[in-house]
Amino acid sequence: MSDFTSLAELVINGNYNGAKDLTQKMIDNGNDPLEIINQGLMAGMNVVGVRFKAGDMYVPEVMMSAKAMSTGIELLKPLIADKDMPTAGKVVIGTVKGDLHDIGKKLVVMMMESAGFEIIDLGVDIDPAAFVKAVKEHSPQAIGLSALLTTTMLSMKDTIEALKEEGLRDSVKVVIGGAPISQSFADEIGADGYAADAASATELCRRIIA
Amino acid sequence: MGVGSSHGNGLFFRTLTEKQAEEIHLASCQVLEDTGMVIHHEEAVELLRQAGAHVENGNRVYFPSFLVKQALQSAPSRVTLYNRKGEAALHLEGANVYFGTGSDTLNYLDPFTLERRSWRQEDVANAIRLCDKLPNIDFVMSMGLLSDVDPRMINREQYAIMVQNTEKPQVVIAEDGDTLLDIIEMAACAVGGKERLRQKPLFMIYTEPTSPLQHPKESIEKLLIAAENGVPANFACGGVAGASVPTTIAGALVQANAEALSGLIIHQLKAPGAPFIYGYGNSPLDMRTMQAVYGTPEAVLFQGGAVDLAHYYQLPSWGYAGCSNSKVCDEQAIAESTMFTMMGALQGCNIMHDVFYMEFGITGSLELLVISNEVIGRTRRLLKGINTDKESLGVESIMRVGPGGNFLGDDHTAKHFRDNWFPDLSDFNNYENWTANGSKTMIERARDQIKQVLETHQPKPVTEEVKAQIGEILRKAKEKVGEKA
Repeated sequence: MSDFTSLAELVINGNYNGAKDLTQKMIDNGNDPLEIINQGLMAGMNVVGVRFKAGDMYVPEVMMSAKAMSTGIELLKPLIADKDMPTAGKVVIGTVKGDLHDIGKKLVVMMMESAGFEIIDLGVDIDPAAFVKAVKEHSPQAIGLSALLTTTMLSMKDTIEALKEEGLRDSVKVVIGGAPISQSFADEIGADGYAADAASATELCRRIIA
Repeated sequence: MGVGSSHGNGLFFRTLTEKQAEEIHLASCQVLEDTGMVIHHEEAVELLRQAGAHVENGNRVYFPSFLVKQALQSAPSRVTLYNRKGEAALHLEGANVYFGTGSDTLNYLDPFTLERRSWRQEDVANAIRLCDKLPNIDFVMSMGLLSDVDPRMINREQYAIMVQNTEKPQVVIAEDGDTLLDIIEMAACAVGGKERLRQKPLFMIYTEPTSPLQHPKESIEKLLIAAENGVPANFACGGVAGASVPTTIAGALVQANAEALSGLIIHQLKAPGAPFIYGYGNSPLDMRTMQAVYGTPEAVLFQGGAVDLAHYYQLPSWGYAGCSNSKVCDEQAIAESTMFTMMGALQGCNIMHDVFYMEFGITGSLELLVISNEVIGRTRRLLKGINTDKESLGVESIMRVGPGGNFLGDDHTAKHFRDNWFPDLSDFNNYENWTANGSKTMIERARDQIKQVLETHQPKPVTEEVKAQIGEILRKAKEKVGEKA
């Protein structure tokens, strides 16, 4: 078995210590960093994606695989120019003002990171101004707003309005989610998309960013 | 070992041994002391600091174990909820069991048009009116999230509908402290004053931490207002195993218990002896769909553990029953909800909510409600167990009838057959009579029952004066939230 195949296997099995060691060994042996990512780490993650979709792997196993991939990426990052780093897109995400719930949002972050997105997680209780600031600072392709409470979901509209006022609305897609959220609410407040769960949030972002 | 029935001879199910309950208790105390909680409420933090808790970074509170003991000592072992007439209705103690609906589902499965749509005020009023009629629904929650009122007024409007459409006790959700204060006002109007409400509480408030180990400002605010006003309260983590609490049942119990106890401590520090209902829930995360699901075998076992801990602490217990993950009221809905209802009853969980929940609590079904009413009836009969007094043993009757006789014509049968359970919805006809009655399935019969109740049943109304007072409280609240906006 080649080192690339072995590395992919370690990612599939979620063996993050093994993946880290082998990545280091491959760097030391002079393998091309981008090849290690594409033919080793990402190759493993692609298999994970297929198996997850087929129902052969469950989310906690996907998380372990993602962790294995990222331990390898951490070692490789300094060796690759930023512009060459493969990424599916950049997304700023946060739970809206007045709401402390972030389990669902964290799931979205984990799922999206394991799908190759770069995520800037602002945390919880984020007011519209803070979203605006983050959009200016990070220039993401999309922002994700989360709310669990029916009272706080109204802040999503305020956030979209704030983006409009700052003239940023056209530069960024807005996607929303959370238990009380529905497609009709998304339409009502003028969001670009609504995802019912973490897996479909990833699909949604892929689709609207592409 | 005690028994699950208030009659002392019924069925009973125990999930944890005494030793396991103690193991979980000690583990929760360790979490409270070593990991602590983040509490976003200054007064609560200050109460805890003065009581001997260690506070870091302003709001990270570490609870020494003696605070747990102290709170358990002052909290009452029994709480009674009263109906609108002021009669004792729910005796939350021992292994008594009571059932009621859940709150705030987003969608209403309209039993007549079969649409899945948003709730309007008239839908909630109808649903509560139906609960008023169903004999095995002991209390109500708001059932539907109102789509046709100002979003900041939802919980107040729901309360106004509940209190005017049933005399049964309520469990309420409130957006914040102001909302709770308005609900207290409305309840006080309905029962004849605040003092009377304090003495004979018509409702309890459901407040919750944000797991893991965080207490939002609004939740504590409501907890403290409840303590001050003698409104029975819980502090119930709605855990999602594998996400907000550990994936193992024991780990979920340890953390949820720690969170409930931390709420109890704050509550008892504010008002020692104030009524507190112990309990919490767990909807494990399905690792394929990422849904928090209701009533899995693990969730049912978890509730058994929580109820055993309540017994261990001698506190009234709170839990779930009659709920489902299914999208329509189908075989899955009945299987899941029935298993939870029956197990909850056998566990001796004092006050169980969410009867009628579908789709993980996103949708509500009145069909499931009336079918559950029947399931609860069956279950209640089971809890009564087997009477073995002389009359029930029936030796004299057996002697009278003798070999080859028939009990149908015997006095003993005529005297006692009504002790047995009778169906309301289940069909016991033979095939010919069933087809003659229209070959209706259970859900069709459930819809007929809903229709019949909604056409004929009028709950006892509040007086015109009370109605006007409630209207005035709502009007003032609208002004208030309007000003805030």
